[in-house]
Order: sequence, then structure tokens, then C-alpha cells
Amino acid sequence: MLDAMIKGFGTTLKTMFRKPVTISYPEVKRPVFERFRGRHELKRHDNGLERCIGCSLCSAACPADAIYVVPAENTNEARYSPGERYAETYEINMLRCIFCGYCEEACPVDAIVLEHNYELASYSREAMIYTKDMLIVPPPPGAEGTPQQSYAPPPQFMENPSTHMNRAEGPPPGGRITTYVAPEEKVSAYVRRSLLDADRDGVIDDEEYRS
Amino acid sequence: MANEQEMVTIFVNGEEVEVPKGTLVVEATKAVDLEIPVFCYHPQLEPVGMCRMCLVETGNSLNRDGTAMVDEAGNPTVQWGPKLVPACTTPVNPGMHIRTNNDRVEDAWRGTLEFLLTSHPLDCPVCDKGGECPLQDLTFAYGPDMSRFYKRNKYHFEKPIPLGELIWLDRERCIYCSRCVRFCEDVAGDPVLKFAGRNRGQEIVTDSVPPFDSYFSGNTTDICPVGALTTEDFRFKARVWELTNVPSLDPFDAVGSNIMLGTRADGIKRVMPRQNDWVNGIWISDKARFGHHFVGSSDRLTTPLIKENGEFRDATWQEALELVAARLGETVEAHGAEAIGALIGDRIANEDAFLAVKLLRDAIGTPNIDSRLHWPTGTGVEEAVAKVGLSSGSNLADLGAGTVILAIGTDLEEEQPSLYLTVRDAVQKGAQLILTQSRSVKEMHDAQTPLRIVPGAEAHFAALLLRVLFNDEKPDFGKLGGGDELYDGIMTLHPRETLNQTGLSPEAVDDVVAALGNASNLVVLLGREAVVNAGANAPALVDALVALLAASGKAGQLNSGLLPLLPHNNSQGVADMGALPSDGGATSDAMLSGEAGLRAMWIIASDPAAERAASRATLEALDFLVVQELFMTETAQLADVVLPAAAFAERDGTWTSLMRRVQRYEKALEPKGAALPDWQIVRRLAAALGADWPGCYTAQDVAAEIAKSVKAYKGMTYDALRGDPVAWTKNAFGHHIYSGTSFLNAWYGQQWATEAEGRRPKYDLATPALQEIERGDGFRVIFQNKQYDNGTLIARTELLDGRRSSGFVKMSPEDAAGLGIVWGDPVHVRVDGRDSTLPVIIDEALVRGAIVLPRQCSDVNATPALGTTAQFATVERAVEAMPA
Repeated sequence: MLDAMIKGFGTTLKTMFRKPVTISYPEVKRPVFERFRGRHELKRHDNGLERCIGCSLCSAACPADAIYVVPAENTNEARYSPGERYAETYEINMLRCIFCGYCEEACPVDAIVLEHNYELASYSREAMIYTKDMLIVPPPPGAEGTPQQSYAPPPQFMENPSTHMNRAEGPPPGGRITTYVAPEEKVSAYVRRSLLDADRDGVIDDEEYRS
Repeated sequence: MANEQEMVTIFVNGEEVEVPKGTLVVEATKAVDLEIPVFCYHPQLEPVGMCRMCLVETGNSLNRDGTAMVDEAGNPTVQWGPKLVPACTTPVNPGMHIRTNNDRVEDAWRGTLEFLLTSHPLDCPVCDKGGECPLQDLTFAYGPDMSRFYKRNKYHFEKPIPLGELIWLDRERCIYCSRCVRFCEDVAGDPVLKFAGRNRGQEIVTDSVPPFDSYFSGNTTDICPVGALTTEDFRFKARVWELTNVPSLDPFDAVGSNIMLGTRADGIKRVMPRQNDWVNGIWISDKARFGHHFVGSSDRLTTPLIKENGEFRDATWQEALELVAARLGETVEAHGAEAIGALIGDRIANEDAFLAVKLLRDAIGTPNIDSRLHWPTGTGVEEAVAKVGLSSGSNLADLGAGTVILAIGTDLEEEQPSLYLTVRDAVQKGAQLILTQSRSVKEMHDAQTPLRIVPGAEAHFAALLLRVLFNDEKPDFGKLGGGDELYDGIMTLHPRETLNQTGLSPEAVDDVVAALGNASNLVVLLGREAVVNAGANAPALVDALVALLAASGKAGQLNSGLLPLLPHNNSQGVADMGALPSDGGATSDAMLSGEAGLRAMWIIASDPAAERAASRATLEALDFLVVQELFMTETAQLADVVLPAAAFAERDGTWTSLMRRVQRYEKALEPKGAALPDWQIVRRLAAALGADWPGCYTAQDVAAEIAKSVKAYKGMTYDALRGDPVAWTKNAFGHHIYSGTSFLNAWYGQQWATEAEGRRPKYDLATPALQEIERGDGFRVIFQNKQYDNGTLIARTELLDGRRSSGFVKMSPEDAAGLGIVWGDPVHVRVDGRDSTLPVIIDEALVRGAIVLPRQCSDVNATPALGTTAQFATVERAVEAMPA
């Protein structure tokens, strides 16, 4: 019996000299693991354009049906994302969200990421619907926000097809050929192989979506 | 038909199955539920074998003499072909073996997909086709998980280019299956798409002005097996799996094409065809596809309006309806019920029309009800349809060799685009199209016998056909019997004189009669222009056509009968509900011309002030006008009370197509503002007038009431209009890989039977009473419909603004030369004292002495007259030259 008592008080004594586990939240915030799934963020490219292309795959993957996306088309005057399409409306109902991270997994352009913010309390249901301007991160330092202007020529009606059929060389009007440059011999076999792997189809090439 | 065909036995993956001789392998394997993957093959198009997706292994088990093939040991054997063959171009032969479940075939499928993907951009996340894309689906099913080709080698084109305002082309995504090219050439008859370039630089181009000039362009996006062709309407509106699809019907033409409304939170996102082989197959017109924007239009009426001191103010339903009831009551008290008239538009549902007629007849007691504004009154065509209309159970898609289609004054493409495709298909399958028209129309190019007839002589032509057909011998009217009076009447016609009136050659008429004699079935298409042009002779024309069908023995026969090309989606149904003048009631002409001496009018879904200029004065002079509408039309502006109605997508109901097919559509959206379905408005108005209709709480209840009290609609409750859901009834089964649409269709609808189909048909054959063709000074005016005009509904689709027809006047080359006018010259056209300055289009097929004006188009300051009088115009060269 004495043994047990000594053991018990010993434990008490030991913990008296330990750092307390209680954290005085909210003054002190507990660090989270790197892969913690908190509130979503919509990311941007380095040039300030939004990554999100409004494809709704996050919404399709969402088991709680918490995401609502309305896509729209970029114009040269108002460009939000690289490519043709962007999300005009992007809403997440945080009351429904179960933070499973499927949206992040489904995203073909790594636009939506579950970050480390877990402070999501609110006084109203309405406030729990996070809109795009709440979710999107600010543009990186030095980069312009969205919408941006780009000066690509507007799409034209088709030219007379005969003009390029008679052309002796060069790509057809509007077309562009990107040729594959074979890795040079001096590149090691390992690097070459990994280059080739990265080149293979099956994933959306990130560069495709950058301007 | 299928059971008459010779059957052959084939073996699919070892399984024995019998299929009709000549079936393509790709179709034959469906008998054992085996889908062969395809891209370029489409059951409605000629196979070309372009995509090489459908390669299968075939072999023979029979020798040429039909004996079983045996090996050296004497055992039955199969001689497999040295190479794989495309299933879409190979017909089956007896004893054929087909194999798809071995490595060789799977390798071929995988290889083809890998190859198709070499230059496909794989931008599925932003592609509107993603989710219902055959390339996506087949790649998942049969394709490689990795490609051996390098992504950097992909051949890129500039992202989408417009093929006109409606369709976008993304050349990167195209796999060169040529479905769109073949659709335009073969099905639509608009050869405006072509391939240009070779090799990787090959692309689809359009060579028409305006680009992709077709009324059926949207169908190419359905059958495109990748996202190369997408519509502007649905471009980046939503992903396909997010849509709620609601079965509905084409609200424009009278064919009743089955459509699917793809809706999301805030409205209709797209319209897709819903297959119904008895109606529209799998095609719809662009008007049906893109014309839905009126539903969500911002200028819809959302609240009842009451006019006070010349200004409209918002009102509540109770206030507005009590005012209407009070004013109508006062009118009845002061001037009797005959002082009230109603114009019931032919766009509203059967339920609405039924209750409106019930209210007018029973509660108010007026006989002045009419629904015909776009179709002349007093032609007797409603009775003719009840007698010898196209027989129920007919399927125009079955028409082929042996069929004669007699089209009188039709303009199918502009007025009934879906029916145009059906007729064109029938002609391609061997039906003979006889067309009488006074001007050029698209089906003139399809018709084997195009006849240029003097406008107004249509009845004479029909009577002449009877005269030549009878040929001094009274025909046998079969079960109907009788017909002596008709025979005697017709034999008094002078053939030569009548012929001279029509302006046709005697050989042409003989040819037509010979064709009629040889026909196994006869479909008579009666166009709007024919009855309008015939004017006072329109009843004679209708009588002659009824007699023609009876005399040729085709009345009541399957796939035969009279098909009037009624103007709107429910022209037939509204007439069936009794929205026609009864007991000496006034016709719409009499009501609107002021002849009927009305004091109050109720106008539903109709805009006579804009469409018949002559009616404006009458409407202004009325004591009280109530208009039930979607929009603030010119008629609504004259009203004392305006009641906002719900659009078709915001309610359910039934429409009856021109083939008398009663079809149901469902509710997709909530009504805008305080708008109510028309039948509910009528019901509330009836309550305000003190009429009590118990048991009519839903559209379904009203339909049940119709099924009880309208004879032709006996038993047509909503449940009876439903069948087993099918996706693709004849040619393929439930997969969009084949058809481009994968929607299940359970609402086939039902046709009501005509008198001639009965076992003992009983109807009168009236002798056509021909009158002199009206002559006048100047050019005879023919009003033409254009699909994209300034009509109340279609004007709200901004997408079509670029295609909207502006004013023109068509003249024959001779007349134009006589006035010294060349194509494009401006002329002053004066009709009924109203001038318009319009550019001239020379119409080679237009008869001399006539001009064509489009209805409801900008710059055209002329509307059809009320009644049957022909309109004549003076045409003068405009003094000032057209600015260069």
C-alpha cells in the first residue's frame, strides 16, 4: 500500500516541475501539424493571378456539398486567372464543411489548400458562408491583384482557309508548335528519366495555366 | 418493318444472335448488350470510319457456298480476318464471328485512344463537355493510364475561335470525327462546315456568311464527341453534373420538340434535346435551344398592374382581380355578355385554355372566344384535322420510299424547323416531296417536284388535283362511302381554266396526280402561307384537301393525313379546348376590327396591337381591356389591368402539338415575382366572379377534368401521358457516346384519334366552293415568317441579336428588272398606307407580281391585315441611293 502511495505522490511531484500542458488560448495559440486541415485558402500565382479556374471539381468532390462555384470567362480587359475560365463566385459553407480535404485533392491547379486557421466561430449562420474575397490570399508582394489586364489579341473569325493551305511552310495562322527538345547527352540517365516522367500525360501541366 | 427483313445469324464473342441482314457490326453487337466504342459513328449519320475507334476482329464460319467451314480434322472452324475491321462500316454477313474480348482488340482500342490524346489538350477541368464527354469516358474505360508521347509535343492552336455567335470551336480538342460536318451536310442540309488543312493542322472551318449559318447549329455541340464545339449559351455557365434537368417542351414551334431544361440555382443554364422518336428524334432547332432567355428576362412582368390616370401602378392580385371581375360584371350588366370578347393566345397550356373557356362560356356566358391570330379564321381547318388529320400512331420518322408528302405553301425551316429535319430525312429515304410555293423556301431544294404557284390559287390547285384524279370516274370512298355531291361538284370544274389560274403546267399536275396514285401513304402539309394567300378560298382549299385524302383512300391510314403547320406551340390544344367562336360568336378578326362591337376584352398571351396594326384603334376604344402576359407588350400598354403570367418553365402543364400529340412539361423554376400560372389566374378570377370550381387545385387536377369533359382527350391524365423511361428507343441504347444525348424520356405523350381512323368513319365531304382569285393594284404581299424576328419571346434572347432578321423585300427578277432595281437597292414599299424603306432581295423562285415581306422584323412597317382580304403594295425606287 505504501508502494502505491509513493508511486502516486511521486507522479504528482514529477508533474509539479513539468511545464503545464494548458495553453492560455486565445492569447497563446497551439501550433498545428504541417498537414493540419483548417480553413481553406484560395491561392495565387506569383504574378498575382488566381490559381482557381472555376472548374467545380472541388464542389463535385465535396461529400458535404459545401462548395458553390459559378464560373465565368476571363477577358483581356479583366483577367482573373490564366487561361479561359475563372471562378466568379466561390463560396464555402463552413457549417457544412467537414474538413476532409477532398477539395484540395481534387483541385487540378492546387488552388484550394486547407491551411492552419481553425478559428471559425461566428455569431450568425450567414457569416459562416465564406465568399471568395474571404478565402483568397492577397497577391504576393510586388504583384498586381485581380482583375488584371492582358493585351493578347481578341479572338477573330476564321480567316479564309485557303490562305494557309497554300502556305509552303510554317504553322497555320493562330497555331503554334512547341517542339520537344531531346535531353542532351550530358544529362545523366536519372535526370533524363525524371524529365521524361514529368513530361508524360495524365496530369494538368501547371505551366499550361501560367501566362 | 424489321420482321419482314431477312435475318442472319452471327456470333458476338461466341454468343449466337440473330440480326437483320445488312446491319452494321456496331449496331448488331447491341443485341447482346455489347457497346463498341465509337467516336465518328452516329446512328443518324452515314458511317465514314474516320476515327478507327471501333476496330473489331471478325471471322467467317461459313464457306462461300454457305456450308460450314471445317478444319483438316473436320471440326467446325472460324477463319479470322488478318486485320481488324471498323465495326461502323462493316455489315454483318451470315455466320460472321465478331470478337472484342481479346488482347488484339483491346490493344487496338487502347492504341487509338492514346493516339487521339497525343494532341488533345486535356483541359477537361475548364471544358464544358467535361463530365459527358465520350473521349473522357472511353479513355477511362479502354484507354491507357499513361501516354508514351510527350506533352511538349502537343500541337497547340489558339484557344477557342467563334464559329458564328452561337458556337465556339476549340481546334486543339478536335479529333476530326466529322460528325458536325456530316450533320450539317446530311441532316440539316446546310453545308457550311468544312475541313481545312491537312495533318495536325487540320481544322474545322465555316465558309458561310454569317459564319455557321444554320438554324440547327447547336446540334453539332451535342454530337461532338469532345469539347471542340461548345455553345456560347452554356459557355462556362456550370458543370454538367451540377445541373438539375427538367423535362420540358420547345415553346416556339408547333412540333412540340422534347427538350430538357438544365437548371441551376438561378435559372436555366442550357437546353438540350430529349429524345422522342415520334416527335423530334434527337435534334432540336437553335431557336428551341437558345431562345429560352425570355424566361429569365429582366423585363418580365412581376406584379399585377392597374392603370390609373394613364399610368400603371403596382397592385395586389386581390385588388386587380376584383377590379377585373367588377368591370366585367358591369359590362355584362350594361351591354350583355356578348359585349365581352376574349382572345386566347395559342401559347398557353391546355389547362389554362380549358379553364378560360369554361369561365367565359359558363360563368360569363359570352360566345366571343377565339385563339387564332396567326392563322386565318374561318378556314375550317380545325374540323378538317378532326376528320382526316395525320393518323394517331403515325411516326414521320418512318416515312420513306412510297410516301408522298404534299406540301402546300410551307416554309418548314423558318416556321417548323424540327419538322423540316423530319421531312428532309424522309426525302432522303425515298419519299417524294411535292411542294407548291410562290417563293423560294429551303425545302424547294429537297423537293423532287417543286411547283411555283400563283399566290391565291392554292385552292384551285387542290381542286384541280381532285378533278384530274377523278378523271370522269367516281372514286371509291371506301368505308366512308357517298361523295356523289363532291364528285358532281368537282366535275363541273373546267380543268384548263383552273389550270391557267394556278400558273402551273399540265404535265406538272399530271405528275402530281400520278405520284398520288402510286403513293402508299400521303402526308399533306398545309402551310400557313397557303391558307393566308388563298384568302377567301381557304375553306375551299381545306375542303379539297380533305376530299383528296378521302378520294385517294389515304384518310385514316397510318402515316397519312392532313398536317396543318399551326403557328404556335399549343395552337392545336387551345382550339381543342374550345377556344373558338361558338354559337355565332365573333372571330378574332371581327373582335379586333371592331365589327363585333365589343366593350370589354380579355387578351391572354397575344399581342394584336403589334401584330395587326389595324386592331390598335379597336383596342383603344374598348371600355375595359385586361391583358394576361409575360411582358409589357404593345397590347398590354393599352390595357386597364395587366396580369403577370408565369412562363412555361415556371409551371407544369400540357401542350398539344400539330400532330395532336398531347405532351406534358414540368416545372423547373419558381415564377418570377408574383406571377402565376395562367390557369391559376383564371381560377382566381372565376372565384372573384363568384364561380366555384371545386377540385381544381393543381394543373394535374385540371388535366383530369379535361380528360373527363373533352371528348378527344378522354383518359389523357398526366399518368396516361407517361411511359417507360427510355433513352434511345430505336438505334442505340442509353449512352451519349452514340447519340449525344443521354436523357431518359418518360413523357411520350398521346395522340388523339381522328374521325377517319374510326371503324365506321362519318364525316362530310364538302365540295370546294372556288371563288375568283382576288386581284388588285400593285404587288401582292406575301408575309413570311423568320425564325429570329422581333416576336415577344424570341426578342428577349440577346444571343440571337446578331442573327435577327432585319427588314427586306423580296422581288422576282422580272419585277425588279422592270423597276430598274438590282439586289440591295432600297425601295419604298407602301402597304395599307404605311411606308417602309427596305433593301431588295431578288428571289429567283418568286412569282411575278408578288413581293415578300418578313413579319415582325425591324424596319418593316407593315402587318398582315385582319380578315381574308389580300394585301397589295406599291413599290417605288427610293430616291436616295443606299449609302456606300
